[in-house]
Amino acid sequence: MSQNSVISDHAFDFKLVFESYGVRVKLEASSKELLEKASEAAESALLGRLEIIENVNAEHSFGFSLDDDGETLFLHENGERITSDTSVKRFFRFFDGLLRIKVAEFTRDRVFIHAGVVGWKGRAIVIPANSFRGKTSLVAELVRNGAEYYSDEYAVLDENGLVHSFPRFLAIRYFDGELREKLVNPSSLGGRVGRVEIPIGLVLLTEYEADAVWNPQTLTAGQGIIEMIPHTIPRRANTKFALNVLNTSVSDAIILKSPRGEASDFAVEILSYFDNYISLARTFRG
Amino acid sequence: MNNSHFPIARKNGLVVQEVPDEVLVYDLETNKAHCLNQSAAMIWRSCDGKTSVSEIATLVEEQAGNKVTEDFVWLAIDQLSENNLLEKQLTPNFPGQSRREVIKKIGLATMVAIPVIASLVAPQSALAANSCRCNQNSDCGLPANAQCPSTTVCNSAGFCAP
Repeated sequence: MSQNSVISDHAFDFKLVFESYGVRVKLEASSKELLEKASEAAESALLGRLEIIENVNAEHSFGFSLDDDGETLFLHENGERITSDTSVKRFFRFFDGLLRIKVAEFTRDRVFIHAGVVGWKGRAIVIPANSFRGKTSLVAELVRNGAEYYSDEYAVLDENGLVHSFPRFLAIRYFDGELREKLVNPSSLGGRVGRVEIPIGLVLLTEYEADAVWNPQTLTAGQGIIEMIPHTIPRRANTKFALNVLNTSVSDAIILKSPRGEASDFAVEILSYFDNYISLARTFRG
Repeated sequence: MNNSHFPIARKNGLVVQEVPDEVLVYDLETNKAHCLNQSAAMIWRSCDGKTSVSEIATLVEEQAGNKVTEDFVWLAIDQLSENNLLEKQLTPNFPGQSRREVIKKIGLATMVAIPVIASLVAPQSALAANSCRCNQNSDCGLPANAQCPSTTVCNSAGFCAP
């Protein structure tokens, strides 16, 4: 069978529909075992925040099938084959990220921002950035220094601009002949997971650069929001809501932009800076 | 009526968000986000196709409480036009001067903040946030993975990376 051919719907005899963050997703597979694996992967990807629902249609579907030899797995999205793999682990890891993005993009009452997040004295420090820019390393160091862990992947904002935790294990990358990833429980860093939704106090627009000196520029709310938009997942699917929530969320936040050096040094420096900022703000508010 | 002197703000395909002292505009056609400072926003809002550049200058002057010249308005129009925020592209009227020279000249002549539009292009697909995950080499060639460590190699750990 050619790589790009599309399997017709009847090849998927096993199906289930779940809802997560208000988004309905159908999983369908060519075997019961494959559907169970897909279902487990979905549970893990969405941190168990899903509910299986009966007799409903879904806006989005993922199909899972195997080739005749049972060696190659195929992934289909909305009926179209999108990728294949012979490694089961790698295949489901890919699906893991894809599913989260799908839910993040189409949820109607939350705004997912690709960012690391920690809590510090009741305020969130949000670090929007692309992958491989040191986000997780910085989050890990902030947690080691006493910050509460919220997420190393998504800031989940509600309509009031408050940040909710999305505390999957930290995905720490390392080089071992090739680039790899290990999942780290935040408790092993001495950290606690933040459970309460909190307002954003600080947005850090920063990426790791060797020998960089932290020399931040303070951005206005508007300037900060346009820097956050490329990391805002539903920017096209739910633009008006996303912009409104971003505006609300940064209304009382300081937004800083600068490259930074090593995460371990920077984490201490930024927490100290944020402490000073908080106490100054309290003084001015009386 | 010469339309070039009666600019019209574009409305279709834009999502506008008011922010204190600024206006955010997201262009659904180009995936560009714009941040207009107060002066640029004031001028953009005045571009109704009925108000001339000189009348816009007077309006801004009244609202800002300070002297504003036509060049000040043209500076905003130049940027609005460049960012496709007007119905029709307009060429500024700065004979023999660069934008930088005009900014310097206007900056010295007024107390009102120079109109500025900051812009940023967002990737079209949300998949760019997929942490460079892949199943096969061809996944890494997708536009969503353009910023990954490799755009050709999907390694055994499932990353677009060596």
